[in-house]
Amino acid sequence: MEQELIQIKEKALAAIKAADDLTVLNEQRVRYLGKKGSLTAILRGMGKLAPEERPRIGQLVNKVRADIESLIEEKQTALKARELSDRLATEKIDVTLPGRKRELGHFHPLTLTLNKLKDIFRSMGYSIAEGPQIETDYFNFEALNLPKDHPARDMQDSFYITDEILMRTQTSPVQARTMQSHEPNSPIKIIAPGRVYRRDDYDATHSPMFTQVEGLCIDENIKFSDLKGTLTMAMQQLFNDDLKLRFRPSFFPFTEPSAEVDISCVMCHGKGCRVCKGTGWLEILGAGMVHPRVLEMSGYDPKKVSGFAFGLGVERVAMLAYGIEDLRLFFDNDLRFLKQFC
Amino acid sequence: MQVSIKWLKDYINFTQTPEKLADMLTMAGIPVESIIDPGEGLQKVITGRIEKIVPHENSDHLQICTLNVGMAENLIIVTGAKNVAEGQIVPVAMVGAHLPNGMKISKGKLRGVMSWGMLCSAQELKLDLEMLPEKQKIGIYILPDDTPVGINVKDVLGLNDVVLEFELTANRSDCFSVYGLVREVAALTGNPIKWPLITVQEDDPTAIKDVLSIDIKAADLCQRFSARMFKNVKVGPSPEWMRQRLDGAGIRSINNVVDVTNFVMIELGQPLHAYDYNMVEGHKLTARRAIRGELLHTLDDTTRKAGDNMLVIADEEKAAGLAGIMGGMETEITAGTTDVILEAARFYGPNIRRTARACGLSSEASGRFERGTDIENTTRALDRAAQLLQSMGACTVCKGILDVYPTKKNPVTVNFTVEAINRHLGTNIGKQTMLEILQKLEINAVDREKYITVDVPSWRNDINCMQDISEEIARIYGFDKIDATLPSGTALQGKQSERQDFVDKIKQIMVSQGLCETVSFSFTHPSVFDKLNMPADHHARQAIPIMNPLTDEYPLVRTCLLSSVMENLTRNFSRKNNDIKIFEIGTVFQPKTLPVTEQPLEKLKIAGAVSGRRDVIGWNQDAEPVDFYDAKGIIEILLDRLSIKHYTVENGEHFVMHPGKTAFFKKGRDTIFIVGELHPSVAAAFDITKPVYIFTADVAALMKYAGRGLKSKTLPKYPAVTRDLSIIVDRDTAAAAVEKTINKAAGQYLSRLDLFDVYEGKQVDKDKKSMTFALIFQANEKTLTDQEVDAGFAEIVTALQKNYNAALRS
Repeated sequence: MEQELIQIKEKALAAIKAADDLTVLNEQRVRYLGKKGSLTAILRGMGKLAPEERPRIGQLVNKVRADIESLIEEKQTALKARELSDRLATEKIDVTLPGRKRELGHFHPLTLTLNKLKDIFRSMGYSIAEGPQIETDYFNFEALNLPKDHPARDMQDSFYITDEILMRTQTSPVQARTMQSHEPNSPIKIIAPGRVYRRDDYDATHSPMFTQVEGLCIDENIKFSDLKGTLTMAMQQLFNDDLKLRFRPSFFPFTEPSAEVDISCVMCHGKGCRVCKGTGWLEILGAGMVHPRVLEMSGYDPKKVSGFAFGLGVERVAMLAYGIEDLRLFFDNDLRFLKQFC
Repeated sequence: MQVSIKWLKDYINFTQTPEKLADMLTMAGIPVESIIDPGEGLQKVITGRIEKIVPHENSDHLQICTLNVGMAENLIIVTGAKNVAEGQIVPVAMVGAHLPNGMKISKGKLRGVMSWGMLCSAQELKLDLEMLPEKQKIGIYILPDDTPVGINVKDVLGLNDVVLEFELTANRSDCFSVYGLVREVAALTGNPIKWPLITVQEDDPTAIKDVLSIDIKAADLCQRFSARMFKNVKVGPSPEWMRQRLDGAGIRSINNVVDVTNFVMIELGQPLHAYDYNMVEGHKLTARRAIRGELLHTLDDTTRKAGDNMLVIADEEKAAGLAGIMGGMETEITAGTTDVILEAARFYGPNIRRTARACGLSSEASGRFERGTDIENTTRALDRAAQLLQSMGACTVCKGILDVYPTKKNPVTVNFTVEAINRHLGTNIGKQTMLEILQKLEINAVDREKYITVDVPSWRNDINCMQDISEEIARIYGFDKIDATLPSGTALQGKQSERQDFVDKIKQIMVSQGLCETVSFSFTHPSVFDKLNMPADHHARQAIPIMNPLTDEYPLVRTCLLSSVMENLTRNFSRKNNDIKIFEIGTVFQPKTLPVTEQPLEKLKIAGAVSGRRDVIGWNQDAEPVDFYDAKGIIEILLDRLSIKHYTVENGEHFVMHPGKTAFFKKGRDTIFIVGELHPSVAAAFDITKPVYIFTADVAALMKYAGRGLKSKTLPKYPAVTRDLSIIVDRDTAAAAVEKTINKAAGQYLSRLDLFDVYEGKQVDKDKKSMTFALIFQANEKTLTDQEVDAGFAEIVTALQKNYNAALRS
């Protein structure tokens, strides 16, 4: 019997070793360890043994069983591992094929630029103010110290609806409207973004409709130097930290002193290029200290408070920021253009 | 305004290059637009005399010239020109010379003969050919015989005077004169001014008052009228120096009398007008309003009808000129003129501006009057003109000046403190510096210890208050020297309105759903209404006309955002952009009355369109085109994200949409969104052949129902029970109605209802459809029993059977 056990063991071990897949291995397990298996048959035949033999043979059977089991276990692990690796090998896909996607939309570049400007100025304490696009002559011009027949009205050729109502030429009327809706002399910090209209021919740099952001800051002791600092900070945030600003004296009826503000060219960093026409500077803002008459007309006392105002064209900023060379693209709404912005 | 460096240097010395001076002026608020160097690119071209000419042995058209260029050795230059002759003085481009056309001259052999340079033509020197006589335009440019040899041709040809062209701001009328600009140069360089001494010899025995009278009948439009009279006038050419100065200022020389009036206008900023005395009826000139319809025969030989607010200068019979704008034909100075009246006046700028615009006339003179001339300058300008004409021996000057000046202008004085200026600018400029700056600008400032008093000069119409003075000080002191600081006052929070937040949110949601934002013009064309199928009585046809539209394309202000959407659609289709998902948020303008008497209502709208493929192109993407339900889904998600709940959706009619495929989203009676398929006839009108789905809404109407103050719900503690319900109903049964019935009948435990299948086809009868719903029952306070769920389910089935004759589908 002992002999028989050893034989079973050897045959079993050999068969397990030879098993090449999990099915064969399982067959071997049944053959040797199953209810009808050879080892089970030996155990059943134990009764015929002498009682003193039984413990020894019993132990021997258990050992053989344990050996076979452990080998099956081992083999099974190996076969499973092989099977997995075989499966993984056949399951390879082309990961270079494009993924499945839902297309996202795109904000208009003017919205993106405007949002950036709004964020910058809101973080500096400026609220966003709005006003009508079809304005009265009073708010668009007169309240800004531009009486009828003022030669500076030629600077902005307007679309008129009636003699007294026009498409606003600037968002500056929101200045006067805001002041008139405030308690006199109370502090104001606003920017007024919006569409404005001028009777300009439609070409690569002009449009009868464009977008302006006008800013106004009024408080006690507001100084021209505050205007310089505010615009420097805002423009540096908008473009880059190294940006330089240049203030050139100019004239606007609603500010005194007035300045045209240039930024160092964002393309060539001031070295001179095609975009800045070799000057190293780009004209981008008009600004100045609010004219005392403008304050007075809207109920503010120029002896108590002072302020600055500034205005810039959003299209101009967007063109510089994104390298857009033709202003008409903004209003053309060609999807091939719009889908470039995110 | 343009002026040459030489003219400036007549009155002030400076060593700065034209470029540097231009930069200094620009940075002081006197912007130089361009620097015109007539000799630009011209180097090493000098005068030479042709001493000898011999024909070239190996050529039948070349000649060998020996040139004396003022150097020890003569030069040999081979030329092909035919107009050269011995003894001529010609421009010689030396070896190493540069010509304006970019040519560089080097020595070279021409058919075996070494040539040491080139003789130049007028064109090669870039002379203004229009100004030259015919024979000078071709061949070598022959210089006058008395021209010295060996000097730079720039000096001979007047090409050495650089011209500054200014783009002046509207407030600085004083700088439309050499005097004004010289003051600026003085302030910037610190150099002293050498004003010309203006003196007149009244050498004619006639006294002006005995032979002429002048009058002002419209003192509001003509504030001063001064005149001088000249006799024995000899009209002829002006001297060379004056022609050069005028040329630099961009003014063509005409004759001595006209040139002097122009010269004085540019020099002093006071326009002058000359009349032929003998053509002035009654020898009287009156500044008066034109009589409506009065005919004016102006210098351009045009007869104009005057309006009654135009100012004319009239003699006893007729209007002899449009004041400040253009003189009359009859009183024009001609070759035969002997007696001249010279007018120097101050006209009311806005009226000149109006008249000039109405007549479509503008001139150097009218431009200056519009901006405002120096009222105290009239008699000085007359004296200066007299002096200049006299110095040319062109006239005798009658005794006296006629000067009507009804209301003398009160000089403006401004008092200010040094502190106020520094507080306005954020500077720390000393009193002395301020006083010096003002003094250099010829602004008289008196230090009164505690404050400073400024007597604003009559030519500075732009200075009225402390802030104006601060600008003068700041621009000369230098804007770049002022610090950059930040406001130190009240801390304010940057906010935006609820509406602005709402608009931002809509845009965000639409973009996240794959739509592109468009921005369109606020203008439209009347033909668009018919194309949009808009009913004849629709209020949106009442669009506001623009009085002065830019083109015929856009004569109206838009009343309807869909017109812009359609434009963007067709433009994209025409460019083969066939997969379109766009939206726009924009303002439309609805007049309260037409014609317009007050500002219109401005309404913010959202509109958009989808067409083409549902997804991006891809091997694994849905290649199906979008349909109505894609468009509707976009709106449903938008409303969901705006927390607009419990709306109903029903069929509706909108003129631009297919009547059977239009959904109205409603809250009670308010329509909050409309979505539908583009009406086939509208599509045809816009040449659109593909299915398009559009949507439109009023932002204010959406905002009215947008949820505010979102509250979250806790998650359910008890398990949910899911049941599917499949029913067969008539084909035209509205899904929304069925859902409404289910919700109503289900009782309190139905927590969610999803329609997940709709089927029409072989497996159901022809006029029927099946709908399958997933129902989720759940209670907050307990686990539902099967009986409770079954009871709810049964109620639903009963109600559906009753309302829609629905059959359960097995």
